Amino acid sequence: MALSAMKMKRRSFLKLAAAAGGAATLGKYFKYSGVELFEPVAAQEGGEKVELIKTICIHCSVGCGILAKVANGQLVDIEPWENHPINRGRLCSKGASIPASINNDRRLKYPMKKEGGKWRKISWEEALTEIANKMLEIREKYGPDAIFFAGSAHVSNEAAYLQRKFMAFWGSNNIDHQARICHSTTVAGLGNTWGYGAQTNNFNDMRHAKSIIFFSNPAEAHPVSFYHIYKAKQRGAVLICADPRFSRTAAQSDLHLQFRPGTDIPLVWGICYELITNGWVDEEFIRLRTHGYEYVKEVILQYPPEVAEEITGVPAEKIKLAAKLLAENRPGTLQYAMGATQHEVGTHNIRAFAILQLLLGNAAKSGGGVNAFRGHDNVQGATDLGVLSNTLPSYYGLSEGAWKHWAKVWGVDYEWLQGRFASKELMQAKGATMSRWRDLVLAEETGDKIGQPTPIKMAIFWGHSTPSQAGTYLVKKALEKLEMLVIVDPYVESAAALPERDDGIILLPACTNWEYPGTVTNSSRQVQWRNKVIDPLYDSKPDVEILIALAHKLGFGEEFTKNFKKLPEDIYDKEIRVGARVIAMRQSTWRLKRQQEYDYVFNIETLRAEGGPCDGEYWGLPWPCWNDEHPGTPILYRNEIPVAEGGHDFRAKWGTKAPDGKTLLSGINGHAELNPDGTPGPGWKLDLTTDYKKLIAANKVPYGRGRARFWAWNLPDPVPVHREPVWTPRPELARKYPTFEDKVYGETHFRIETKGRSIQEQDIFEKEIHKAYPLVFTSGRQVEHQGGGAMTRANPILVELQPDMYVEINPKDANDRGIKDGDVVWVHTYRGYELGHYRSRIQVKAKVTRRVPPGVVFLPFHWAGMFETVEYTQRFPEGTKPIVIGECANTISPPGWAPETQMQTTKSGLCEVTKAGVIPEAIERLAKA
Amino acid sequence: MPKKFLLDMYVNRCLRCGGCMAVCKTHNRTPEGVHRIRVITFDEGEPTETNMPMPCLHCNEPPCMYVCPTKAIYKRKEDGIVLVNKDTCIGCGYCLMACPFGAPQFEKGTFGNRGKMDKCTFCVEPYEQKDEQGRLIQREPKPRCAMVCATGHLLAGDADEISAKLRERVGYRMSRGVEKTFLTF
Repeated sequence: MALSAMKMKRRSFLKLAAAAGGAATLGKYFKYSGVELFEPVAAQEGGEKVELIKTICIHCSVGCGILAKVANGQLVDIEPWENHPINRGRLCSKGASIPASINNDRRLKYPMKKEGGKWRKISWEEALTEIANKMLEIREKYGPDAIFFAGSAHVSNEAAYLQRKFMAFWGSNNIDHQARICHSTTVAGLGNTWGYGAQTNNFNDMRHAKSIIFFSNPAEAHPVSFYHIYKAKQRGAVLICADPRFSRTAAQSDLHLQFRPGTDIPLVWGICYELITNGWVDEEFIRLRTHGYEYVKEVILQYPPEVAEEITGVPAEKIKLAAKLLAENRPGTLQYAMGATQHEVGTHNIRAFAILQLLLGNAAKSGGGVNAFRGHDNVQGATDLGVLSNTLPSYYGLSEGAWKHWAKVWGVDYEWLQGRFASKELMQAKGATMSRWRDLVLAEETGDKIGQPTPIKMAIFWGHSTPSQAGTYLVKKALEKLEMLVIVDPYVESAAALPERDDGIILLPACTNWEYPGTVTNSSRQVQWRNKVIDPLYDSKPDVEILIALAHKLGFGEEFTKNFKKLPEDIYDKEIRVGARVIAMRQSTWRLKRQQEYDYVFNIETLRAEGGPCDGEYWGLPWPCWNDEHPGTPILYRNEIPVAEGGHDFRAKWGTKAPDGKTLLSGINGHAELNPDGTPGPGWKLDLTTDYKKLIAANKVPYGRGRARFWAWNLPDPVPVHREPVWTPRPELARKYPTFEDKVYGETHFRIETKGRSIQEQDIFEKEIHKAYPLVFTSGRQVEHQGGGAMTRANPILVELQPDMYVEINPKDANDRGIKDGDVVWVHTYRGYELGHYRSRIQVKAKVTRRVPPGVVFLPFHWAGMFETVEYTQRFPEGTKPIVIGECANTISPPGWAPETQMQTTKSGLCEVTKAGVIPEAIERLAKA
Repeated sequence: MPKKFLLDMYVNRCLRCGGCMAVCKTHNRTPEGVHRIRVITFDEGEPTETNMPMPCLHCNEPPCMYVCPTKAIYKRKEDGIVLVNKDTCIGCGYCLMACPFGAPQFEKGTFGNRGKMDKCTFCVEPYEQKDEQGRLIQREPKPRCAMVCATGHLLAGDADEISAKLRERVGYRMSRGVEKTFLTF
């Protein structure tokens, strides 16, 4: 492959560039930035055509722009996209090494099937026919609900939407994706507080913050966000980091609140206590725009900083100082990610954060808000488009009205659609989730009650990783028990090799996101057009095409593709844009493409276009974007600007009166949700033709102007209270602050029996497992890897930068156990007991560091290729195994599920670390008992 | 005008996201083990934790150049970039001993084994210096590591460009009257 376009002497090149470039062709891209200026010129040299194609990074949710350099149809290099309004050309290691991920011979090259213990190459036709026949056979034998579909946050909006539509047409709600185990509690927590469950502000807006409190580690998980965070710091913002680890973010912060994993709520309440008792709350904001302050005040006053210190381990003085800093530096923003969401109290953690911002009056303003940093490049989009078992696209839920609405969008009969389902009840019942689908497969073995006629018999993993799912032992057993397993991925995901089975696995090579165009929604609700860079490599195909081909094989292809003439644009313009009215995801693709062309007109501070054809638009047209004239809403719930300029208010989602009789309508121009003609009613989300012009002209918000709820009467805890993790190292606190009662989960919870308190009673109070497993387990990310790591662990550049899976352990704990830095160790836990497997353990390297406090260990979760100390790479198809392998941290994650969303718990478990090969006597005794 | 790298040590911003290392490997196609820039970390997990990217500093008086027995290392007149001619390099490794910053690199297993030395070229040359026709590849001196640096810790360019950037940063702080918040624990 040619190394470079510049095959001539430097001087002659410069001459050429000057002559050919000129102001006219370059002007479009020309803008000062950084020390050096880079001018992307499509240079024509020596017969070789070099193009620079604007595209979006495929890894995390910051949504960085990258210029892909393509010569002769091959991706040869990348260049910084210096006019991109979010990252201005900045990249982290993952984005900077994408060519090595795409031009990689470890990719899955053609469809494969496992037969008699051997992998065999098959044709697309054979693969799709076999999958379709098996699906129809299972439908015949067990019904449509015996199939589980794991969708993806790593596909475009169009593909994600089609995944949900595919399962709707198939006739089951057993579809879910990464968001379940990622930010489902954000959607429940923020949605129940003020209406929408998404990041309220955006990355660029963090520049305006005077204080930032982190509840996660963006320095490693979202490094490019620090481009804006540092700008805030440069302007004098105070950074506070609340994290059990002394993370890289903590190293850059002014104050570190090092709390015990799983005690976010008492920490936040400790801060709120100070705000309330010192009179630092924003009284006017509370009076005009919120409801239920007296209820939350009553709870908060039970958590003075001293009580918070006792629970969290953070000195009361530090909590008081944090409160003072937040009160004196307004507006301040709050940032969090997985560390807060992945708890059984995740929803309540997030509500506590929102309440903190409401008390400070930081909500609904520039420089404030709650910034939930999401994980994958399109997890916000996939969540919005309902690749979830509890809702249809755009958060309509599963009610009859919701199905009728979408049937109308799809142009099919509601009765036909209902006929695809096993029954009307199952059509409206929440389906299996990513966190518990394996229990629905193993229901006969574990004896758990299930909420559908039969257990799951077949699973389709469409771009979902195995390492991110808690309890790998159960996942492995489930993968072994399925009648058929289909995996669609550019790489061979570890689900193909983890199960010890000889047949019944089909692998389909999907192309990467740079090989097919589409839209992608980043964490800040900004929708960007991602151009196709190259044609699909090898025999891989785009997700959209595979889904449509499979729909045709299953006999509903005609209905499925009724509205589509031009792919993929029509999926967005003809269906998503028409139907996704709850979130008003109504950007047209031509507007997104126009924004991409005129990227240089957007102001980096406000993200608003100044002049040019996009004048007045916000970058990415963040939803709610009501019509083709609306500029988008970069900051949610601002009521001081007109609706036409991106203003609106907290949602009037729960009616006009709370159960206590007080009004739920805003104190400033409050009104209920409206029909398109201006009368009160839910017509705004059900009318398929309105473009809301009448309402917007009258400065009315279609969904009403309501109040934020301190008191969410529909949740198990209307006001968040502390609840110890199911597996807690502090049993005395667990008696005082117990976890959720079993009955909160109902008979079945997302179709599977779920327990809370009884696990805590049995494991902690009776068996006292915390004595055998005294260390607290928490997990997180490495900057060089993404998600389950199938792609990044096969990328030679990233592997060289981060080749190891490890456990971070404090020198004190390591010395007590005779462990030295770099030793191979075992990390034990009591997981897998559902199937009588009491001794899960993983083999990793020890990293002795003071990053973690004594009593806490940290493991990154991106790794696969070993299971319970045994390597299984021989089960990968030849030539496809990742370059580096490691144990999956989630093998030892604890039990515990959120009662609102069935979020898994992965951030606060119990474990013990020993040298490799050593099993302490206490663990042996416990396993025998 | 000599071109240089500079690390903004007034406010240490590096997060060790690895963008510089990864983009260097992507852009210059260096093989395994060759890091033209490498971020190092001191005091990991301590309050004094510091990350520092270490590129070649393109010295005014490069010791590597003076010790090179075959005169393979040279400094470009027009912009002061220090380069190595791989045709004449014999892989003796003296340059590595002489360099105070560890900039000269050798492919895995080739040190002292007739391997060619490779180093940062300010992005003017990739790892393979010549194209298929044997012509020397010459690119513009625009180091990708500094361009992608998310935090602006790594700066590159002429003295006046770097000076302008630093003045802008400091001037910004001074104009806003911002003092660093000191917290005493």
